Amino acid sequence: MVTAVTEVKAKSPTLVSKLDDVDLKARTLDFTPSVMNSVQKKYFYLWLILPAVVVLAAISLYPFFWLIWMSLNDVGINTSSAFVGLKNFTRLLGDDKFWNGWQILLTYSALCLVFEIIIGVFIAVVINGTRFENILVTIFLMPMMMAPAIAGLIWYFLFNSTFGWYHWFLHSIGILGDTSIIGSTDTALFGLVIVDIWQWTPLITLITLAGMKRVPRDQLEANMVDGANAFSNFIQITLPNIYPFLLIGIMLRFMDNFRFIDVILALTGGGPADSTNILPVYLFEVSFRYFKLGRGAAIALTLLVVTIILGKILVRVFEGPASKRIDVGN
Amino acid sequence: MFSKPKNPLYTSVTRRKFLELGGGAATALGVGSMAVGLNTVIMKSPVQAASSDDAKWKQYAGSKLVFLSENTPPTIALKEKLKPFYDKTGITVEIITDDLPVVSQKMGIDLRAGKADFILEYVQDKPIGAPYAEYFLDLNKYINDSSLPQDPEGYGKDAWFDNYLDISCYYYDRDHLRALPYDSAVACMFYRQDLFEQYTKEFEKEFGYRMEYTKDSTWKNVHDFASFFTKMRKGGKAVPYGYAQHQGNFAWTTQLDIQRHLFSHGRWTDFNVDDKIGSKTPGPTNWGDPTSVFQMQKFKELADVSHPDNLANGTLELNTVYQAGEIAMQVQYNEFAASVEDPKTSKAAGGKTAYAPCPKGEASWIKNGGQAVNGCNAGIAGIGINANGSEDMRRAGYLFSIWVTSTETQFDQLKGTGGTPTRKAVLQKPEVKAAQQRPTSMPNALTFDAVYNYGIKDPHFVLGPKLPEANEYYNIIAAETQKCLSNKQSAAEACKAIKKRVDNLNGI
Amino acid sequence: MASLDVVTYRTPLSRIWDAFVVIFLALYLIWTLLPIFIMFMSSFKDLLAAFQLPPVGDFTKIGIFFDFVPTTKHYYNLFFNIGFSTYFFNSVSAALGSALVSVVLGSMAAYALSRVEFKGKADLFFWIISTRMAPVVAVLVPLYAIFRSFDLVGTRTGLILAYTTFNLPFAIWILKGFFDNVPYAIEEASMVDGSTRFQAFRTILPLVAPGIGAFLVLCVLFAWNDFLFANIIGSGGAKTLPVATRELVQPQNIQWGSIMAAGVVTTLPMMFLGLLIRKYLVTGLTMGAVRE
Repeated sequence: MVTAVTEVKAKSPTLVSKLDDVDLKARTLDFTPSVMNSVQKKYFYLWLILPAVVVLAAISLYPFFWLIWMSLNDVGINTSSAFVGLKNFTRLLGDDKFWNGWQILLTYSALCLVFEIIIGVFIAVVINGTRFENILVTIFLMPMMMAPAIAGLIWYFLFNSTFGWYHWFLHSIGILGDTSIIGSTDTALFGLVIVDIWQWTPLITLITLAGMKRVPRDQLEANMVDGANAFSNFIQITLPNIYPFLLIGIMLRFMDNFRFIDVILALTGGGPADSTNILPVYLFEVSFRYFKLGRGAAIALTLLVVTIILGKILVRVFEGPASKRIDVGN
Repeated sequence: MFSKPKNPLYTSVTRRKFLELGGGAATALGVGSMAVGLNTVIMKSPVQAASSDDAKWKQYAGSKLVFLSENTPPTIALKEKLKPFYDKTGITVEIITDDLPVVSQKMGIDLRAGKADFILEYVQDKPIGAPYAEYFLDLNKYINDSSLPQDPEGYGKDAWFDNYLDISCYYYDRDHLRALPYDSAVACMFYRQDLFEQYTKEFEKEFGYRMEYTKDSTWKNVHDFASFFTKMRKGGKAVPYGYAQHQGNFAWTTQLDIQRHLFSHGRWTDFNVDDKIGSKTPGPTNWGDPTSVFQMQKFKELADVSHPDNLANGTLELNTVYQAGEIAMQVQYNEFAASVEDPKTSKAAGGKTAYAPCPKGEASWIKNGGQAVNGCNAGIAGIGINANGSEDMRRAGYLFSIWVTSTETQFDQLKGTGGTPTRKAVLQKPEVKAAQQRPTSMPNALTFDAVYNYGIKDPHFVLGPKLPEANEYYNIIAAETQKCLSNKQSAAEACKAIKKRVDNLNGI
Repeated sequence: MASLDVVTYRTPLSRIWDAFVVIFLALYLIWTLLPIFIMFMSSFKDLLAAFQLPPVGDFTKIGIFFDFVPTTKHYYNLFFNIGFSTYFFNSVSAALGSALVSVVLGSMAAYALSRVEFKGKADLFFWIISTRMAPVVAVLVPLYAIFRSFDLVGTRTGLILAYTTFNLPFAIWILKGFFDNVPYAIEEASMVDGSTRFQAFRTILPLVAPGIGAFLVLCVLFAWNDFLFANIIGSGGAKTLPVATRELVQPQNIQWGSIMAAGVVTTLPMMFLGLLIRKYLVTGLTMGAVRE
């Protein structure tokens, strides 16, 4: 094939341009050079994947099977592992702290996300397209760069009733008394929500901005020509286009709440009176403080199951409109 | 407070290298001294019973050991004073310090995996000793081993302070010596005697007796003092709040805090087993009985007149609040006296604070016909040896244990700021006797009278509860107590909940 | 592209709205920067000065915050007494190491996944990304057990490997998207010209290089900021900055000055990095779901 094209090119220059098109088409069909066949091709790719898969398997499959095995046994610090079947799981059903853990996790996530979305979207909307957009976004990014463990310590310093500036402020405007925000079961969760909002609202802003840039301009203009003002423009055109992005943001933040307990460990440790004892923190407590590895494994598995389900949903949303590239030339 | 190593072995090497390579190599040095990691090294020269004492000490010269400890003042002070041990034995010791929960965690993982990353371990009486007791070597076998040097004062009950052996070294039986007493943090009352003197007249007008704190002051008096100050503070006066409890997220000290109330009133204990050595099967708990319900109620009433931020403050934060002059009294562990007396960080320094035994039970509050005592408890840690280690590792570790618990070493530590001696002989030294009065070079010594002469002695001292599920036990107590203090449940409900969950925990 | 010829009228309502927006943005700016600012300033304050607060309700005395004699002793303390230079080095090497490993292995795997089809590919892909989503707390104990048996606990290698557990799937996931956007034609062309498949792979690398570079930086960011892995698996010999900072909370005195200084040291490099990869940040943080 290759030699034939070259010969033709040499003989008839006038045909070159047409042949170039043919050439290009031929090349884009998967006409592999005769040297490799498709089996060898597959081997090549699989060899490329292999190192990564091996590493991942070692690190993720073993813990997974270990968790399953542990959850079916009574493993602790002094007990020899005795097979107990599903007892660890049934025990969870009656465990108040377990259900409390889920409930607080959901409440916490809901609170965080409601505020983050309202504030984040609002900011994105008002700064989109303005000349300050870039510099503002750059500044707003800063909290996300901070290690959660450090953020926890800083906010602990700020909330402390003896020397904390934020506590002083809240006290001065009358919202708090001498009790720090993390010193009362009623407000401790809000304290954590505040820290989360501080750190992660910019993410929602960024996502919304990315989404808003995708909104087809012509739709916006058409709507405006029809006499709509900015507000209804937002509701009717922008919002439907960005909601997939927001959905992704919501799911990611929710899943991140499963993973990051650094801030909670630094600020409240799950207290006071279990009011901030979200499930991952309870899991940490059971596994690392009481050394009830069997029970901990059972809790961990429930967390994993929920994570996988959410992950599946997320992936489906991934395939949606959010991941399509921006069309060049709007 | 940071630990600036003054003359431990590895820093002298670092300093020399620093001069050689210049300041820019500081990073490389850091790498060099830390790359040592968790490797224990053993080098042995054989000895017999007839060898000289010196030879016995030096039989493991060239070895390296790792000691995992909580970041308590004695250990931090120890880090700077390892050279004498090196001189005596030729062994280098690396000390790794961490928060107690993290230490417990790392140790648990190490022990359970059958490893001996840490050959020397900090056996905190209840949180670590009770769950992991079996993993620590029975030291009785080395005490009688004549190929090892021994401390001239011995290890018998009388060499140590009262109850110290029981609390930190014997778990579930007295046949196995699991550790040697290493440091002690005993509760006593810290209070602002300057403020007491200042306001005694007003107090007397309102309550009818002088405002002073003695060893006969009861929990009711404490309640009165606390409400007096708090009322003044809420009325706008620039005084501290009266009192604050150990809450926060360090569950163990919350349990200890309420235990003092319970034990003071009739020597109530959590379980009906020998409180001094504990039990693996403690049986049903006494929570839920009239004493516990009544005391929980009183605990709550005290919380109501305490610092409003009571629930946020664990032991550590509580001390900070006291140092900042925000509360007038705290029942605190005596090792904190050093920080309270430090004028650079504490507003309660310079003679303003006085130390006394824990409050006594109020006679009219006793429901079980028992005795009113000054309920006192403590966290007394031993230094134990990881039984998973090889024989040589363990013997080398033994050398360190007996050295670090010897009178000389403990006295030496006292001279720094970190001292909490466990041997009686230390208190016989004239300097220590003198230091118990102001002005003092050893601030911790100001508490010794309240602690060693009173607090730790029977009938005031409560040693338990020692049970394998200690850590979860504390969390149950702390969580339910905090719920009660937050008005989420009544005292009776809290005690009932505790009973249910603790019995569940112990398989009743 | 039609020019925006629609005219908007400035009504009084829109003026109020604009003013509101400006005030809101200004407040939000302060809100975002204030903790960082306080951290930074407090790192130069002596202990007692750091605790000074104006009396409650007295807003005029806010100036107290600025009333102190700056001192660099906390930074000095960190690096010369506590050995933070080691921890800094540990953080850098663990983060960089895992980023490199992840990107190298990840780009190979991502390329392959982008180009090949086989049964179960979607499942494989999902399994890869699920390892990234798994809560660390859940798998920490078994991971510790594995690392312990290979004597990797407390070593930098162990920490690099631990970080690779979340950086590698992340790299594969994101980079696959990049490779998807490069037409296969280019490799075809080079293979027709006689290069092997691997060389063809190398020729398209420059096209994805900016993306790879950005995700290298993101991997560094995630690894640097991690706490749980470093605490359990890196404990002892491979302590990183977040863990070391946490350890400054000591029983006798919480070393606030040093903690603030440590916070600055830990956060500042990441802020610079964040600026560098600003463009790819959204893609990175949303795991490729949202592309700029």
